[in-house]
Amino acid sequence: MTTASAPPATHAIEVRDLHKSFGDLEVLSGIDFTVGHGEVVCVIGPSGSGKSTLLRCVNRLEEPTSGQIFIEGEDITHPDADVDALRSRIGMVFQSFNLFPHLSVLRNLTLAQKRVKKRPKPEAIEVAKRNLDRVGLSDKIDAFPAHLSGGQQQRVAIARALSMDPDMMLFDEPTSALDPELVGEVLEVMRKLVDEGMTMMVVTHEMGFAREVADRVVFMDGGVVVEEGPPEQILADPQHERTRRFLQMVL
Amino acid sequence: MTKRQRQRLVRGALYAVFVLVVLVVSLVADWPRIQHSFFNLEIAAEMFPRVVTVAARNTLLYTFLAFTFGLGLGLLLALMRLSTIGPYRWFARIYIEIFRGLPALLTIFLVGFGLPIAFGVRWNILVYITLGLGLVSAAYMAETIRAGIEGVPKGQMEAARSLGMSYSRAMMSVVIPQGFRIVIPPLTNELVLLIKDTSLLFVLGTTATTMELLKYGRDLLNQRFNPTPLIVVGLVYLAITVPMTQLVGVLERRNQRAR
Ligand SMILES: Nc1ncnc2c1ncn2[C@@H]1O[C@H](COP(=O)(O)OP(=O)(O)OP(=O)(O)O)[C@@H](O)[C@H]1O
Ligand SMILES: [Mg+2]
Repeated sequence: MTTASAPPATHAIEVRDLHKSFGDLEVLSGIDFTVGHGEVVCVIGPSGSGKSTLLRCVNRLEEPTSGQIFIEGEDITHPDADVDALRSRIGMVFQSFNLFPHLSVLRNLTLAQKRVKKRPKPEAIEVAKRNLDRVGLSDKIDAFPAHLSGGQQQRVAIARALSMDPDMMLFDEPTSALDPELVGEVLEVMRKLVDEGMTMMVVTHEMGFAREVADRVVFMDGGVVVEEGPPEQILADPQHERTRRFLQMVL
Repeated sequence: MTKRQRQRLVRGALYAVFVLVVLVVSLVADWPRIQHSFFNLEIAAEMFPRVVTVAARNTLLYTFLAFTFGLGLGLLLALMRLSTIGPYRWFARIYIEIFRGLPALLTIFLVGFGLPIAFGVRWNILVYITLGLGLVSAAYMAETIRAGIEGVPKGQMEAARSLGMSYSRAMMSVVIPQGFRIVIPPLTNELVLLIKDTSLLFVLGTTATTMELLKYGRDLLNQRFNPTPLIVVGLVYLAITVPMTQLVGVLERRNQRAR
């Protein structure tokens, strides 16, 4: 581990001068960004602005081209960083749920617990049941993903991430693939996590949700953070023309 | 004449032609002779139970051995083909190109006669059979399996990795099981081809106890100077392969519905 050279863990997530290119296309052009312990940060911005890429760099699903990322003070861009161990501490929820369709809900929740955390089966099942209860789907424990509604699938995906007892959660537009009438139940679950003090980084187009629960809103455009601040300021009184234009379009 | 009437006339004519051909053939054909040559019940009866207990059993055994070996090697080659390490990728590509491009018989000769000459080894014939057929089918199965693995949405690997699973763990527990569901129909087709390819094994000089279906039928044909054994053996092949191709159809339809 590289804790010796790491700065004190004042932030859950700290991103310094992050650049990311796909071939010739620079998608992130120098991002500086933090999420404090227990903080809820919503990232907004137009399509293609690099929100997903930033989120995916934080657990290294994408390799940063340059820059540094610290998780709890540990430099995860360091060549010696244990990426698998890191990821098991960061829950991730995808727009398209990505449940494992060949496994029951219970096995979706226990697989990584057993294989990564080496939890004995009874304990893994115990944890899975507790987290299914948290998202209100205890009765679906033996169902297969294909038999669940989109909203239910996303709640199971959240329970799956929570079953690893993560220090923080990343959400990439968790409600964008849902029918409008199913958005509420997912946001409900996320609100509960906020109340429990979970550290969260949420890419979202749900401005109402951001206004209500975010400690901070970050507006990205063209691969940079244009402005950030408390939701009432960013959403109601943005300082930058690009932010204003974006909000006019989505509100 | 309306269009409809004309259509009916054409259909009627086509039926008539069919009936006529069947009639002529059945009148012209020398039925007693055909029956004696191809459906000689006496000779057919003699073949039982050996055609099942020895010949069919060996065919199935060789198929099983080659399929198991080919599946294992094919999976390995598929993973190599998808590897980020260049030399693995190249090796798999070259292997697949070579063994798909060669006649299966050449590979069987190479294994069955080339290896013993080159290395002075005398292995059990089952080893030559497994290698001779398995090396070829591995090349075909590798491409099938690779397509299956690539058919699993990328999000599955990402979800597994984001939970902390290593690449190989994610492959084993998440991607490969789903990939296999996709490739069961084409793999079953592979199996049917393999069953038929066991008929090439006669070149290895199989004996009375190791002969498979076709060799058994051919030997009897020569002994009795009558083609009935080939018909019987053919029916045994069909009894094995037709249910499997039917199964492929069912599986494919089910896969389609699951999408
Ligand atoms: N794997 C990739 N290869 C090449 N280009 C990519 C890749 N992933 C993303 N991009 C490009 O990077 C840019 C930013 O993508 P990103 O998904 O981060 O945007 P986003 O802000 O999340 O947009 P959206 O709101 O549509 O999800 C886009 O132009 C996209 O086409
Ligand atoms: Mg995105």
